[in-house]
Amino acid sequence: MTPESTAHDVVERLRARIGREGAESVHEVEAGHVRRFCEAIGDDDPRWREQAPPTFVVALGAETPELPEALEYGRGWLNGGDRFEYLEPVHVGDTIRVRSRLVDVYEKRGSSGDLLFLVFETEYVNQHGRVAVRARGTRIRR
Amino acid sequence: MSDLEVRPGLELPELVKHPTTRQLVQYAGASGDFYEIHYDQEFARSAELPGVILHGLLKTAFLAQLVTSWAGERARLRALEVSYRGLDLPGRPLRCRGVVKAVEGGRVELELWTEDPEGRRTTVGGATLELLEPGRGSQP
Repeated sequence: MTPESTAHDVVERLRARIGREGAESVHEVEAGHVRRFCEAIGDDDPRWREQAPPTFVVALGAETPELPEALEYGRGWLNGGDRFEYLEPVHVGDTIRVRSRLVDVYEKRGSSGDLLFLVFETEYVNQHGRVAVRARGTRIRR
Repeated sequence: MSDLEVRPGLELPELVKHPTTRQLVQYAGASGDFYEIHYDQEFARSAELPGVILHGLLKTAFLAQLVTSWAGERARLRALEVSYRGLDLPGRPLRCRGVVKAVEGGRVELELWTEDPEGRRTTVGGATLELLEPGRGSQP
């Protein structure tokens, strides 16, 4: 196969994976973890002693669905973008169930190289069974 | 921030960050993102990057800080969205900026971006805030 037909084949195989979910994981929001996250981002707002700052949920470690074929495309990853929808605050001591799934796959071909876009949606559900945060992340193979 | 002050065109007080390689390692550890392009110079160059680069989500955390420190307890963040348009390197100041685009029905729409020393917008996006009634506090 030519490299081009191989890349096309990878995109088709990945498109067939749309809807695939990663394993669910359950995490307690630990005070020390939130503190270290705030130190890392350089945000010392005292309200983050009890509440998690807006992007903290990414540190809970969502298990993205296994997509080994993505590695056949390009040589590395780039982050394309992120979207967070906040429905309820996340507090220290909360127990959050995290599940991530592949929601879209598409390719952009350009003079500076081809790019493969993988879009993941992740839901963070609190101990009350309510979605606290819904996140959508676009990851790029290039 | 008071409701009366919030009007389209209002600029948020700028937040200038001075990211270091140390901060990238700290963020890798705290976030669990151990992709080597953020702390291994040789790996980053072999990936055709000019050197280690900031995590996109670290820049988003900076923009979130810009918004929450401005809004304080008077408004709740409802949505935050960003696109990463350019690479940012440690050792270079990163300006985090925002402007009010619209105020409607208790909601405030913001345009947000990070700006490198050359004035390029390396992250662009926006946020939606919900204004809380005075005395209602920050909890739902």
